Amino acid sequence: MKLEKIDKTLVASVALHVLVIGWGLLSFSSKAFELPPQDAVAVDTISEDQLAKVMAGMKSGKKESPKPLVEKVAEAKPPVEDAVGKISEKAPVVTETAPPPEPKPPEKIVEKPVEKKPDPIAEALKKEETKPPPKPQVAAAKPPAPAKPKTERVFDAAKMAALIDKRDPSRQAMTGDTLNSNAALGLAKGKSADNSATWGALFQSQVERCWKKPYGGIEAQKSEAAFVIRLKRDGTLESMPQPEGTPATPFLRVYQESALRAIIECQPYNLPAAFFEEWKFFAPVFTDRRP
Amino acid sequence: MPFRLNRRQIISGMAATGALAAAPLRDAFGQARVQITEGNVAPLPIALPNFVAGTPADAEVGVGVAQVITNNLKRSGLFAPIDQAAYIEKITNIDSPPQFNSWKSINAQALVTGRMTRQGDGRLKAEFRLWDVATGQQLTGQQYFTSPEYWRRIAHIISDQIYERLTGEKGYFDSRVVFIDETGPKERRVKRLALMDQDGANVRYLTRGTDLVLTPRFSPSTQEITYMEFGQGDPRVYLFNIETGQREIVGNFPGMSFSPRFSPDGQRVIMSLQQGGNSNLFVMDLRSKSTTRLTDAPAIDTSPSYAPDGSKICFESDRGGKPQIYVMAATGGAAQRISFGEGSYSTPVWSPRGDYIAFTKQGGGQFSIGIMKPDGSGERLLTSGFHNEGPTFAPNGRVLMFFRDPGGNGGPSLFTVDISGRNEQRVPTPGFASDPAWSPLLS
Repeated sequence: MKLEKIDKTLVASVALHVLVIGWGLLSFSSKAFELPPQDAVAVDTISEDQLAKVMAGMKSGKKESPKPLVEKVAEAKPPVEDAVGKISEKAPVVTETAPPPEPKPPEKIVEKPVEKKPDPIAEALKKEETKPPPKPQVAAAKPPAPAKPKTERVFDAAKMAALIDKRDPSRQAMTGDTLNSNAALGLAKGKSADNSATWGALFQSQVERCWKKPYGGIEAQKSEAAFVIRLKRDGTLESMPQPEGTPATPFLRVYQESALRAIIECQPYNLPAAFFEEWKFFAPVFTDRRP
Repeated sequence: MPFRLNRRQIISGMAATGALAAAPLRDAFGQARVQITEGNVAPLPIALPNFVAGTPADAEVGVGVAQVITNNLKRSGLFAPIDQAAYIEKITNIDSPPQFNSWKSINAQALVTGRMTRQGDGRLKAEFRLWDVATGQQLTGQQYFTSPEYWRRIAHIISDQIYERLTGEKGYFDSRVVFIDETGPKERRVKRLALMDQDGANVRYLTRGTDLVLTPRFSPSTQEITYMEFGQGDPRVYLFNIETGQREIVGNFPGMSFSPRFSPDGQRVIMSLQQGGNSNLFVMDLRSKSTTRLTDAPAIDTSPSYAPDGSKICFESDRGGKPQIYVMAATGGAAQRISFGEGSYSTPVWSPRGDYIAFTKQGGGQFSIGIMKPDGSGERLLTSGFHNEGPTFAPNGRVLMFFRDPGGNGGPSLFTVDISGRNEQRVPTPGFASDPAWSPLLS
């Protein structure tokens, strides 16, 4: 009797195992291994001048992209004079308890705090109301007034973030009827922060080709040699580079001389003419000090 | 006494004040600073035209000197001498500056011009100038007088001057190497003590090869060599005077004495003495002949080598089981083990710069030459193979010489390698060669 009982459980166990393993074998092995096709990334080689222009963004520069920047296909909004927005015009953050802002539409309107992305429903509604302007233009960075009136007073946890966020809203997806990812010439400032990153890298890559570093073993790890150089418009040296300081050891002297040799040998330097005012007088620093 | 300043002091004081005042001004202008970090650690292209002959009879020696310098600089791995066939300007007068543009156009960064002139008294006058082609500056220039037969030494001395001025480190070309010359079949190898210039020239044999000699070492004066010789009885440590050819036994000890080395002041010889199954380190004062025991361990302590300041010694000992490297005070006392890698370590030798200890490491079926700092950190193997052994430092501590035996029926030969592990070069010797020891600079 007992034996029979044990046998039954054993049989059940074996049957279950077979079932589970069999199912596993079928379901796991039957899936074909597929590699998702990779997107091809197009890479363009551009000249140093083009790169310089991208970085510089001269306001007076020739317009190369007549189409305005458009990142989303939607109904275009009328242009706003100041795309970034002034601090004085900062949209008041509205809370459930705060008094409503001086309303343009008469009734009490709970204005939605300005968010990074526009409400698609609101836009759809607006489509009905607003007439398309004659030309698609850059959309407003900050739609100040005409938000959809919402009457329900609901606690929305997402709004807490907006309450805490004291930053100026400065960026919004640009909408238009056709996609155009090219920004208009230039940034708001007219120039990128420091163009030395651009022409400095060009200078660096050129002078490094000529620089034959002396091999100094352990001492070399602490070496540094700085110069002040004046360049002419054609990229040649206006005068001999002036070393900063006198080297303290024979090796540092050799290090400085090797750098001097490199600066002299590598001229003329091919640097973007647009930044001549910046690179006509600067300080190259040859260093082996690792931070 | 009244406080007075001479003109030079006043000028230098004013210059210092000016420099101090100008420094913040310069910063205030705030030019963009562009960092350049990635140069090429590449050999420096240098042009070495034949030295001008002061008289028609000096043409041959002018060519010879330029060749020796070219060979030295090339072997160092830090210079790339430009082929003479590429030269545009022919140097005929070293007293007027060369046409730098013609040297620039062949990419030379440095140029050496020189002249050899036989004097009326029979001596040879050697002059040279080292030019920076880019700036047109003369970097250094010297003249020497010597007997005509020492023209190679002059070439080595000029090589050292060029090396030092262009690398910022002392040179090592005006130096010699003592080694064991090996000839004959493997089972009946004749081993002789031999001496040569560091570039393999001027080989001289110091012993006849009747007795087996091992582990020669230079004295700091470069006039004496201490080595071990198997005579009739036990192996003994000898002193050999290069100039006079005289030799003497260092001390008269019962049992074997071996692996000798001079102290940095040349006044003492440190060595191992066999005592039963053990060997211990002893130091002997060469003047008073008094001997001091430095270690007393039930182990084999051998291959001692002094730090350049003479305050410490490193040596090999198997007191921990396997041969390892230990460091202790030069007066004896507690020793500190500094090698902890896999395998066993032997033949430690302290760099003349004091920054590294070179060693032979055995492990994994290979013999390697390596270096580590005196505290045991920064271990780095420079070369590995079937059999590499016996490192010795060049006088400037930048290059190591060692011997390599490829196995089989061949024999060992000498090689040099930079302490960075680069630029391995075979040193030409007449036959097989082992156990090299590099001398200090001769001048």
